[in-house]
Amino acid sequence: MGLKVPHVTNYLSEHFGDDAYATLEGYRARGGYEAASKTLRDMAPDDVVELVKSSGLQGRGGAGFSTGMKWSFMPTDSDKPKYLVCNADESEPGSFKDRILMERAPHKILEGILIGAWATGAEKTFVYVRGEYAYGADMLQRAIDEARADGILGNRAMGTDFAHDVVITRGAGAYICGEETGLLESLEGKKGQPRKKPPFPAQYGAFGMPTTVNNVETFCHAPHILANGAEWFRGFGTEKSPGTTIFGVSGHVERAGLYELPLGTRLDEIVFEHAGGVPGGRKVKGVIPGGMSMPILPAGLLDVPMANEFLRERKTMLGTGGVMVMDETTCMVRAACVISYFFRDESCGQCTQCREGTGWIHKICERIERGAGTMEDLDILLDIAGKMEGQAICAFADAAAWPVQGLLRHFREDFEEHVRQKKCPFPESFEL
Amino acid sequence: MPTITIDDRELQVEEGRTILQALDDVGLLMNGVDVPHYCWHPKLSIDGSCRLCQVEVEGLPKLQIACNTPVQDGMVVRTQTERVKNAREGVMELLLINHPLDCPICDQAGECKLQDYAFEYGVPSSRTREPRRALKKSVDLGPTIVFDQERCILCRRCVRFCREVPGTGELGVFNRGDHSVIETFPGMQLDNPYSMNVADICPVGALTTKDFRFKIRVWFLNDVPGVCTGCANGCNIHLGVANNKVYRYLPRRNDAVNDTWICDAGRMSYREIGAADRVQHPMVRDADGVLQETSLDEALRQAAQRLRRLVDAKGAGVVAAVASAHATNEDLLVLRRFNEALGVETSAVAVVEGDSDDLLVKAEKAANGAGARALGFGDARPLLDRLRGGGVEALLVLGHDLLHESLLGDTETLAGLDTVIVLDTHRSKLERVAHVVLPGRHAAEKRGTLTNHAGLVQDVQPAVEPAFQAWAEGELLARLGAALGLPGFDGSFDPAALRADVPGAGDAA
Amino acid sequence: MVISGDARNAIDAEIAKYPQRRGALLPALHIVQKELGHIAPETASELAEMFELKPVDVMEVVSFYNMFSAAPQGRHHVYVCTNLPCSLRGARVLLKQLEAHLGVRASATTDDGRITLGHEECLGACAYAPMLRVGETYHENLDLEEAKRILDALE
Repeated sequence: MGLKVPHVTNYLSEHFGDDAYATLEGYRARGGYEAASKTLRDMAPDDVVELVKSSGLQGRGGAGFSTGMKWSFMPTDSDKPKYLVCNADESEPGSFKDRILMERAPHKILEGILIGAWATGAEKTFVYVRGEYAYGADMLQRAIDEARADGILGNRAMGTDFAHDVVITRGAGAYICGEETGLLESLEGKKGQPRKKPPFPAQYGAFGMPTTVNNVETFCHAPHILANGAEWFRGFGTEKSPGTTIFGVSGHVERAGLYELPLGTRLDEIVFEHAGGVPGGRKVKGVIPGGMSMPILPAGLLDVPMANEFLRERKTMLGTGGVMVMDETTCMVRAACVISYFFRDESCGQCTQCREGTGWIHKICERIERGAGTMEDLDILLDIAGKMEGQAICAFADAAAWPVQGLLRHFREDFEEHVRQKKCPFPESFEL
Repeated sequence: MPTITIDDRELQVEEGRTILQALDDVGLLMNGVDVPHYCWHPKLSIDGSCRLCQVEVEGLPKLQIACNTPVQDGMVVRTQTERVKNAREGVMELLLINHPLDCPICDQAGECKLQDYAFEYGVPSSRTREPRRALKKSVDLGPTIVFDQERCILCRRCVRFCREVPGTGELGVFNRGDHSVIETFPGMQLDNPYSMNVADICPVGALTTKDFRFKIRVWFLNDVPGVCTGCANGCNIHLGVANNKVYRYLPRRNDAVNDTWICDAGRMSYREIGAADRVQHPMVRDADGVLQETSLDEALRQAAQRLRRLVDAKGAGVVAAVASAHATNEDLLVLRRFNEALGVETSAVAVVEGDSDDLLVKAEKAANGAGARALGFGDARPLLDRLRGGGVEALLVLGHDLLHESLLGDTETLAGLDTVIVLDTHRSKLERVAHVVLPGRHAAEKRGTLTNHAGLVQDVQPAVEPAFQAWAEGELLARLGAALGLPGFDGSFDPAALRADVPGAGDAA
Repeated sequence: MVISGDARNAIDAEIAKYPQRRGALLPALHIVQKELGHIAPETASELAEMFELKPVDVMEVVSFYNMFSAAPQGRHHVYVCTNLPCSLRGARVLLKQLEAHLGVRASATTDDGRITLGHEECLGACAYAPMLRVGETYHENLDLEEAKRILDALE
């Protein structure tokens, strides 16, 4: 059936259009598992870690931490079993790349996992798939079954002495389980409430064992890096942010879809050239560059390369690369209502600032939208966001605070106009 | 041992502790170094969720929660900077946006950490205009506890307590975000032998005990340190006293005895003090065989007369004395001396046993069994045998545990005795056979020491004065000894002076 | 016993995959909910026994996750994604229209017990908005007529 959405491909996604790529036979026919095979036979785990480190691969789950560094944190002197966790709890609004990777390229994920497992000495990988991704989980399970039957996984993975198995655990609808320690709690059959650190997962992770958590797309880069080398990988993207990533473009664009492009590709290029700009000749008002928790950029600031070192200068981040486009009809207070509702609903409820702050922000946004806001409310919103930022167990509180800060930074006028007119001044905006 | 610096004060702290634990270890927490906190509790697992205990740690960009940040040698911590104060203010404001403004009708008022910290660390006025969360009021959680969901600040101490201390785990946090609420499993109750501790550790008025709520405003209460007398564990308590009445027991922290807990049965044993069945007057049996109230002097005179006549006729060998494991060591020291002076050879201590557990509750249902034994009062069975065998004609008995079914069972054996002198705090079937009854004092009404199961000698002091006539058993015996003209007995009783002769009292707490 | 033998066997197979029994609790809840439609207190108690947990531990977990329900649901669970990317493309209008079509407000079940209609946070179908999910199946790139047709076809 092919891939249903508009897309631009590169090494991760070049076979997305090809149904056979999801099968072992089809994957192998296109060079699949060669990298893992070579790695497990010819490379010492430390060398794999060093190679991935030198490739500069950064996690694609939102935080952008060096994957090689993360792998190196796993203790080498521990006699405890070590685990790898594949974070497939993709729940960041505006992000859908991991879902498509699971559905279209499940063996690529497994190959990446196998390389990561070899590098870290993990005996088992738990793939935590968000509960709603039933089809993706099925596709991945089929791939696991095929790989087991073929000896790619199992007691003698790829015919070596290395034993590795992969287990899928399905989540059940909680955004916070995308946070790595919330995920670990959920994996252990608990509420997905993030753990306080220390201890960190590399010491005390899944079921109390040393654990490394990587995102789906992150694993998918690994076979390509192992096959082609760090220099090749660094040939894509920027010096500080090498490689490609799969941008998911949604909202008010002609061609919402998946665009695998080098990091550092300009945001306006993604929005206007690849996704075709806003339909109906309308103008762009703002773009969220990296999934809903990243601060919005106004139309005038879209000439930015999509890599953290550049985005940070504009007080936003790459996040998961979910590009959400809003046209000139959009009421940014309504956007704030939708966003703050989400974070209120998804806060795990542990930390005071997050539990109470998300609720308060949402209530204020709704009141402003109803026309009952005051100018003081705008300062209170920023103040609450400031009190949440950096003060909770996990980064969720930051993720809930940043969008509000971004909207008020660039679209304060929208909020003020609601207060002045005592109603929403954007009749053409999307409905709440 | 790592050395850390907190607010320019150098501290030697134990390896592996967190900042808050280290402060607690050296007794400085909220007692020299103010790091306010809600979810952290010294005897529960670290939760790290209230975020109130954030402090500045030199070299770290973000504020750190003191409860979960391990100490490191050379660590420099600041607890009173502007950033810290702002963070505290932020937490306090956020905790208050949904908290009902019902302090005037809240029973926690006066000992509410939300009230205290809001005053100390909060902002003067609330900026919220939003409706507060509407949740369940007055939830009947079980036999002992009432829960106000709206007042709950979700510190989860109660949830952790039930899981970690009694291990019963009745409570959970349901839902998430600002819909989070604490509940029991549908149809289940919070019902365990330690349930009432949740009210103590609840920093706000969400969990209150059915027993104490609305009885009195806590600011009228005077907290007197004491020891629970419910069993041999000797849990440390504060007696909440007003108007010469004990309103409640609260656990008093002693890491060597009871951590910060007491069992529900012990907590409720405060009711014994003001019970209606206290012995309130000296009594003597009249010519018609009826117990009549009389003066202490008259009661003592008759008791002495009966004993003197018997001892003169038959010797002290026919007299037996039963010590009470509820009496203080000082009371029992006087009893021992009395026995020695009179020549009483048959004596023992009566102790009732019941259920025990691995946590606090001990089988011996009295506070000073170990003390009595240390003073030479042995097992009661030989004494019972002599009683049943008819070798005893006069009995001096402290307390009425002797009548417990595991010991004498009833008063039949005592019915034919020439003389029965009872010293007791509470009325019992002993009155059927007693010739003289002398009112004693509860451990909350006198000075002295109690020795717990582990041999720890602990002081008690008068928290209330009986509203009727009652004397410490030691004083009654001292005066009886004087009435008998026993050598060394001048009628005076000085527990403070006697204390030195209590075995193990040298290292008393 | 409310949990069937088949479900118990399936749960045991899940338990075998994890180093600790409790790891299989979420899979078990999925299995049980699929069989019974929701997770009532007595179901949670039985699971608690299987997992050597307190009943409240199971119920806490049920209450935390959107996909588990402690209350009975309709035969079909229909969820419209109303997060921002979908809302920008008319998802909330669609939800209101479906509410009118079914005569039921979101988060409620039709009188005949056929459909529980709800809204959901981002389902990872942002480029295919608006969309809805019926049970485990995604329906994407919808308009009202298509959405109605899908709902009307549910038994």
